[in-house]
Amino acid sequence: MLKKMYLWTILIVLFLSLTCLTNATTPKDALVIGANTEIFITNDPGVSFEVLPNAMVQNIYAKLVSVVVKDKQFITVPGLAESWEVAPDGKTWTFHLRKGLVFADGDPLKADAVVYSFQRVLKLQKSPCWLFSDVLGLTEESIAAPDDYTVKIVTNGAPSNVVLTMVGNTLSGVLNPRVVKEHEVDGDMGQAWLMDHSAGAGPYNLEEWDRKIKVVLKANENYWRGAPKIKTVILQDIPEPTDQLLLLKKGDIDVAWDLTAEQANSLKGGPDVSIVTTPGQSDEYVGMNAGWGPFKDVRVRQAVKYAIDYNAIIDKVMTGFAINNQQFLPVGYFGYVENNPYYQDIEKAKTLMAEAGYADGFDVEIVTNTTERRKTEAVVVQENLAKIGIRATINLMQASQMYAKFREQGLQIIVAGWGVDYPDADALSNPFANYRVKQLAWRCVWYDDYAADLTEAASKEINEDRRFQMYQDLTNYWHIYGPFAMMYQPIQFWGVRNEVKNYDKAAEGYSVHYDLTEVYK
Amino acid sequence: MKLGTYIIKRIFLMVIVMLGVATIVFFITRVIPADPVGAILGGNAPIERVDEMRHQLGLDKPITLQFIDYIKGIVHADFGISLKSNRPVLKDIINYFPATIELAIASMIFAVVVGVVLGVYSAIYRNKPIDHFSRIFSILGVSMPVFWLGLLLLLLFYYHLDLLPGGGRNSLFIFSPRITGLLLLDSIIAGDWIAFWDGLSHIILPAFVLGYASAASIARIMRASMLDILRQDFIRTAKSKGLSKRVVIYRHALKNALIPVVTIIGLSFGSLLSGAVLTETIFSWPGLGRYIVNALLVLDYPAVTGGTLFIAFVYSLANLVVDISYAALDPRMRV
Repeated sequence: MLKKMYLWTILIVLFLSLTCLTNATTPKDALVIGANTEIFITNDPGVSFEVLPNAMVQNIYAKLVSVVVKDKQFITVPGLAESWEVAPDGKTWTFHLRKGLVFADGDPLKADAVVYSFQRVLKLQKSPCWLFSDVLGLTEESIAAPDDYTVKIVTNGAPSNVVLTMVGNTLSGVLNPRVVKEHEVDGDMGQAWLMDHSAGAGPYNLEEWDRKIKVVLKANENYWRGAPKIKTVILQDIPEPTDQLLLLKKGDIDVAWDLTAEQANSLKGGPDVSIVTTPGQSDEYVGMNAGWGPFKDVRVRQAVKYAIDYNAIIDKVMTGFAINNQQFLPVGYFGYVENNPYYQDIEKAKTLMAEAGYADGFDVEIVTNTTERRKTEAVVVQENLAKIGIRATINLMQASQMYAKFREQGLQIIVAGWGVDYPDADALSNPFANYRVKQLAWRCVWYDDYAADLTEAASKEINEDRRFQMYQDLTNYWHIYGPFAMMYQPIQFWGVRNEVKNYDKAAEGYSVHYDLTEVYK
Repeated sequence: MKLGTYIIKRIFLMVIVMLGVATIVFFITRVIPADPVGAILGGNAPIERVDEMRHQLGLDKPITLQFIDYIKGIVHADFGISLKSNRPVLKDIINYFPATIELAIASMIFAVVVGVVLGVYSAIYRNKPIDHFSRIFSILGVSMPVFWLGLLLLLLFYYHLDLLPGGGRNSLFIFSPRITGLLLLDSIIAGDWIAFWDGLSHIILPAFVLGYASAASIARIMRASMLDILRQDFIRTAKSKGLSKRVVIYRHALKNALIPVVTIIGLSFGSLLSGAVLTETIFSWPGLGRYIVNALLVLDYPAVTGGTLFIAFVYSLANLVVDISYAALDPRMRV
């Protein structure tokens, strides 16, 4: 009997001693972000092209300029460059670097480092490279350093907002050439090493990337704007949103990145956690094949736009985490003016169908991918279309299979989304309105030369007022004739502990400018 | 058949099994109606970029040529470069396997200890409360979804009772030594007891969740086997010789009753390795299961085939060891 009691005592003490190790607070000078880090491939600014890794990379590598949000608009502010000017030809840009800049390891940061970093992007030819080569028309020869504090680049004449947002993009992060060259293997320009190391001059250094466990950033005490208040940032891998919710509520993490909309709504009004939101950098659309049967008639396309219940999708499917934005320009972008001409009007839609000769409707296939959100959206669209006699079947496909078919112009209706590559109207108008770039407009067989010409003219227009007006004209035209019904612009949201201050400011720019230096506790 | 010949024969069979697995996995990943390049590049990528990458990866070659290249690689233990991580697949496997094997071993220990003890006691005390408990335990074990059970336990032991941590292999601010990659073993080697207790507290819930179903089936088989043995003549003889109940059960009955359980342990180990993905997801466990499933989602062919082959290899190896130990114990098995 006594023996059994001893055994139980030992077991209980052992269990309690294990449990003593669990604590539920994060240090005051540390920020712990819970996220599914599956998307992480590298921390190399010349290679990284996904939102979450870019959010970290932006905080490791400083850029010539920063694209920040001010009064809900993206604007460019000085970074490593204190000033810049563009020559009258609209192509030659000169950036003047600050004096006394240093990398995190203390090495001086001069113009040659910027040239090396930009040329490296072009040499590597990785995912973000086309932003330099295709959008700006840069070549290795078009980037030069006339002296230690001057960088000159010659572009293809892209508008100033495009050039500046690109120079402030993640891919323009400046690397320390000495360190990168030291770690070069087989001419890889340090790619393998930079996956989990850093050589930057941003507010943080990459201390560690333990795959599927955590990414650790440490404050750069040499940062030119002054060392950040939060000394350690840990991106902890927590793939399951429910786990993120539990850890957030207990205080084991400060920020939850991947909560579901239901979870976020459940936290609203709670004592310890707030929901921080900002407009997401993407569009969610219904695309119609303008080269297929009934959709060749613009009135049928308009009927579909009037059949969709935008509010129901925003309120029910997105549970409010979406903006009614029916144009391709996201909120806050150059050229954006609120312009939502469509709302559900079944009678009007039926009239348009009848005028087009489809009073009895027709059969059509909606294709979307297998995510829960898209499936639900497709079901809502299917129900909406049924009200005007369009008998839709839903075909769920694996995303890559869906896009492969879409690229072959092989779909009738698609329910999908488009993530923005860089924060300028050009990044949206081309895919959505210019069939010549062979992206969304082309995939929807919308060969409209007026829209394509206007898009191309706007992307070359240097005068900002004229350019602004061109986007207004293009948007209005596209609303009438385009093959897209824009369902909404998603709202990005995070669960954040109340002891974390200013996170809303840090996350305001989301995928464009995620600035951890704003955060403190 | 001599033991040596038997072992050679088994190893030869294992090679054939591995080749079979390699072939099946290769063709399954190729017949899926999806495009790995599209999955990696995403919906925004223009068609030229998709075609360019397909060419770079050799996916535009005839399938027979792709298969020959693939088999050549495997023979040289080269599973290729992961399309997603851009690292050699073998390097990724080496990175994630220790977490999986550590969890599988912990789950196995839990399953064997709990399964055998429950099985033995429920056989000895047949139709008594312990037997009923064992039955309920087993039914729940094989019927409760891992995902649901994991979240429920987290909610209870982590969120409400604050007794165990909420996932991961160790606490963020407790740094563990890394020697073999097996966190608990490394902590012992380094004599870092804080890291050891921390690691142990983290492995309790996932090991329980992953091992529960195996514990349940071991308990049922152990019970049946034990009941069968207890009815044998030699047990009656042992009892009539006046041996104590303890000696009869532990020295005579248990040893013989364990033989079928050994087979189940070998098979269970395979399912613990390959079935860990849900447990790994719920408990943020950085293991191979998640690596393979995430590779599948983006159709990362080299990672899927490499990871599957590796798991199949470890599984075959575990069964080889079981078979050899069987053959060593019981010469009839070599026939």
